[in-house]
Order: sequence, then C-alpha cells, then structure tokens
Amino acid sequence: MSGGLDLEQRYRRVLRLLPGYYRDTWEEDMVAAFLDSWMTGDPDEDSVTMEFDRPSRQEVVSVIGLAARLYLGGAGAPRRYFAWGQAVRGAVLAVLLVHAAAGLDGLVSVFLGSHRIVPAPPATIVTASPGGVWPPTVWYVAGYVWIVIYVALVLGHYRAARVAAVLAIIPALAWLLLGQLTGSLQSPFGSWAFWFLIDLAPILAMAAFHRDAPPAARRPWLLALPAYYLLVSVPVLAAEVTGHRDWVPDTPGLCCILVAVLCLAHVPRVWSGRAGTTGVWSLTLVLLAAVAGVYRIISLGDYLRDPHLIYYLQGPHLIDVGLAELLILAAAAALVAPDAARAQTAMPAPPPRPQLG
Amino acid sequence: MTGQAFFVLTALASGPRHGYGIVREVAELSQGRAQLKIGSLYGVLDRLTADGLIEPDREEARDGRLRRYFRLTQDGRRALAEEAELRAATARVVRTRLGLTGAEAAG
Repeated sequence: MSGGLDLEQRYRRVLRLLPGYYRDTWEEDMVAAFLDSWMTGDPDEDSVTMEFDRPSRQEVVSVIGLAARLYLGGAGAPRRYFAWGQAVRGAVLAVLLVHAAAGLDGLVSVFLGSHRIVPAPPATIVTASPGGVWPPTVWYVAGYVWIVIYVALVLGHYRAARVAAVLAIIPALAWLLLGQLTGSLQSPFGSWAFWFLIDLAPILAMAAFHRDAPPAARRPWLLALPAYYLLVSVPVLAAEVTGHRDWVPDTPGLCCILVAVLCLAHVPRVWSGRAGTTGVWSLTLVLLAAVAGVYRIISLGDYLRDPHLIYYLQGPHLIDVGLAELLILAAAAALVAPDAARAQTAMPAPPPRPQLG
Repeated sequence: MTGQAFFVLTALASGPRHGYGIVREVAELSQGRAQLKIGSLYGVLDRLTADGLIEPDREEARDGRLRRYFRLTQDGRRALAEEAELRAATARVVRTRLGLTGAEAAG
C-alpha cells in the first residue's frame, strides 16, 4: 500500500525540510524536475511509479544537505539564517577548542613526562582514558588529531578538518560499540550520550562550514588555543598533580563555569545598546550554554546511577555543586538570551558572496 | 569552481534548459559519471544565480507543471571559458608528464 500519498506528495514532504523562503522560490521547479526524472511517458508505468515509488535515499540526502547549507546560512543568506550559521560556526569552534586544548594538554604532558621535566601524571588522570580496545597511544593520538581539526577549520581547510574529525571519533566509537556488545559499559546511556553530544554533534555541525560561510577570524581563534591552555588547562593540571583535585570542578562543571563566565563578560556589551552587533555572539553563547547544560545534566544522571563515581571524582557534594553550576549557567545565559533572540532580525546584512576567481 | 558548477554551466552553454534538462545533459556530458540529484542541482543553480553566472530565461507550463529555464549570462560564459581553459591547460600538463602523445591519449 502507498499510504495514501503519491510520489509527488512524498517528495513535497521531503522538501518541507527546506526553509520556507527557499520553498516559495524553488519548490514547484524542484518537484517538476524530480517527477521528470521518474516519468517514462508510458501512462500505465507512470501510474504505478506515482503510486508505489518513493524518493531515493540519495535524493533525500541531497535535500538534507541543501537544507543544512540554507539553515546555517553564509554569505548572501537571509539575516535570520546567516545569524544561525554564524552562531553554529562559533559554537563548533568553541567546542573544538576545548577538544584541541585537551589534546594539547596530553601532548605537553607526554613531552614533559618523557623528558622528566615534571613527574608523570597521576594514575587517576591516565586511567581516565577508556582502555581495553586500544592501546593508550591510540587515545593520545586521537586527542592530538583534535588540534589538527581545530587548526584546519580555523584556517579554512574544511575538507581536511572533516576527514580528520572522522578519524578522531573512530576509537571512541569502536570502544562504545565493543562495550555495548560485551555489556562492559558501566553507563551505556551516559557513554553514548557524551559521545553524541561532545564528539559527533560538533562534527555534524561542521556542515555549517560550507563554501558560502565567511572564514573564521584566524588570529583570535588561533590565539585562543594557547590562551585556553594556559588559563584553564595548566591551572587544572597543577591542582591535580599537587593533590588538590577537589578544588577543580569535573569537566562538565568546568564547561558550565566557563560558558557562564563568557556570558557574564558579554553582558556589558549587550547592555551598551549596540543592538545588532552583539547578537550573533549572544546566540553562540546560548548554544554553548545548552550544550554545557545538557553535558552537566547527563553527567549528574551518571553520578546518581553510580554513587561510587561521586567519591572517586570529588566527594559527596558533587551533586549539590553540579546543580549550583547549572543554576549559575542558566542565570548567566538568561542575561544574553533576549539579545540572542534579537540577533535573527537586528543583525547587519551578511556580506556578499565572494566573486569567483 | 566546483565540478558540479562546471558541468551545469557547460550544460547551459548550448542554450537555455530547465531543471531536468540540465540533469540529463550533465549525465550525458560526464558519460554518466556525474548524476546530479535534484537537491544538489538546485543548490548549484541557486549559487550560480546569486553569483550572476546564470539567470532565469523563461517559464513554460507542461502537464500542469511550471518549468523554469535557465541561461548563461555574459559573466557565466566568461567564467566557463576561463575554467575550460584552465582545465585544458592542466590536462595538457598531465599528458606531458605522463609522456602521452595526442594519439595515445585519444586511444
């Protein structure tokens, strides 16, 4: 049975993935071209095709790709979609920055440890990497690859960044799949959720870096990596190696605090009344707050399911501290959220598309 | 210029075509190697229109459906000629480096 829809209606349903402004201009044309590609001119055959066939997977994928490019707009896109595109690009770079800083952290630790400049990192840090499937070297290398991904994306080498990103997430994916199959994952939901949120989602969102996307501001983003390492990673590592681990929030808590601080630092600019110039950054911060908030909630769920983790990480107050971090994050994000909402209409027009050389 | 954009411009070089006409022409030009899906085609058409390389030519209704035809602009013709020259020059270099003569390359 065809479910009451014919081929044209099924294709129109797929086209609903596209933004309204685009459908207004192109939908009828796309439907005509699509049906032309199926019709043979034989009325009987065409009637069967119309009733029983459906758009191919490649056809649907091509529409999804087009939708991603349009919603995460670049040069020449309507302001609303350009704002979303810029915000997603900023959020992706920020998440990749955290990954890259962790990779840099590993790289520096291994270098200093191998030259006996500092003592080897405590066993608790080393064992934080999941093991069993891959030797430690694979995890270290996967960590370093995030540095390559980040730098490639900032420098505009989008294809190289995508290829490297796929390589970077394979070890964790293999570890998860094997753990799932053998039942050895201590927290299957949390493990998969972390992987989707922190690894896979930013890589999928790299679709925002398409041909029409304005290049990232190279200098500030490249400087952000050593700055993050010195201002965040080094103090955290110092606290851990000097036995003050309980002074340091766990990773989700650290993300909440960092995003909250960024929101609070951005508030004066928002309140200075430069409407339209701050909105995209506000939207970026709201997206990052959502990611950090979900990260915090999933990790708290994990701790509640496995109380041993609480004592292993930080002690009995971890749940209370985690909830406080969530509250602070929500309050800070609420301060910039109205500006983020305005970004979709008030921001300056996107730049024209670069001319072909 | 992407491969898809190059093929679409080439398909329009001999005259205006509508969406499916371009898909068919591209498949023929590429000897079946480039199979444009409709979502990809309209992404390319949208971009080429915005870049001023193609423009709408006319609309025709057939079987109750409207088909929009596209044609090359002067800028599009120039961009296509430059790209074709670039690709031909690259092909010449490849042939030279591989030590192929014209006859061997054709064979």
